[in-house]
Amino acid sequence: MTENVDRETYSAARVRALESLLIEKGIITSETVDKVIDFFEKDMGPFNGARIVAKAWIDPAFKERLLADTPSAIAEMSFPRGMAGAEGENMAAVANTPDVHNLIVCTMCSCYPWPVLGLPPYWFKDPTFRARAIREPRKVLKEFGLDVSESVEVKVWDTSAQIRWFVLLERPEGTEGWTEEQLAAIVTPESMQGAARVVVPA
Amino acid sequence: MQIKFEQFAAASMLGSADSPPRDNGDILFQRPWEGRAFGMAIALSKKGHYEWEDFRQGLISSIAEWEATHCKDDPDWDYYLRWLASLESLVLESSLVSEEELEERTRQMLVEANETST
Repeated sequence: MTENVDRETYSAARVRALESLLIEKGIITSETVDKVIDFFEKDMGPFNGARIVAKAWIDPAFKERLLADTPSAIAEMSFPRGMAGAEGENMAAVANTPDVHNLIVCTMCSCYPWPVLGLPPYWFKDPTFRARAIREPRKVLKEFGLDVSESVEVKVWDTSAQIRWFVLLERPEGTEGWTEEQLAAIVTPESMQGAARVVVPA
Repeated sequence: MQIKFEQFAAASMLGSADSPPRDNGDILFQRPWEGRAFGMAIALSKKGHYEWEDFRQGLISSIAEWEATHCKDDPDWDYYLRWLASLESLVLESSLVSEEELEERTRQMLVEANETST
């Protein structure tokens, strides 16, 4: 029956048919589905972490508090439900400096700081990546296009259920006078894992 | 830390053939129906109508079936069509909805879509 109808129209109708039947039968409600979508679109994005980094770039006192006691510094910010509470409670920020580059690795996605970083990139869960990142971090970073100079120490942090690390990277040049919002827009989840640099749009 | 079912579901797919398209840490929905299909699949499993792993295995085979008959770079590739196909078959298999009902309702929805677009 699909021959006379284009694929898009058909798929949209098919999904609507499925949902309406499931709702009619009392199996799900449309709110249940909305909640799942909302969770992925609003609560889980990496923009929370980007806002933390941007604030630390602008406010040195906040940066100091963030490094000293990450959970309570995050609690100062008005984040959506669950952000500063249970899910963020054992997070710790490590700062990149001109002498130190930090890289975060992890073996289980359950210890990934989701509320701050969103979904981990595809390679993050890969055991080979983790093993190599610990053994030869410089080489792995280079494969990601990040050439860390020999004079800079690379520290690798293994995130766990006890402490979930994220990287407070250095504010890039060319962002003088930017607002917190503008800064947050250029911070990516991969940069907060120490696997990428922040790119300043020309 | 307790992780939400949604996080568990998304995490289980990462790094595998069934991993959903993402951008900068966010799952992407390009068409409204993708989000509905995604949300329904997770909601049904969360409510215990099937095991999440069963959905994943269905999705993985549905992707493998497509790949067996297409080139990898075929522009016809559509992740969420595979998603929808696996959702449909699991819903039918779990007897949540019958095939006749689904066909009939789809016809009605197509008629409605046609009426609103003209």
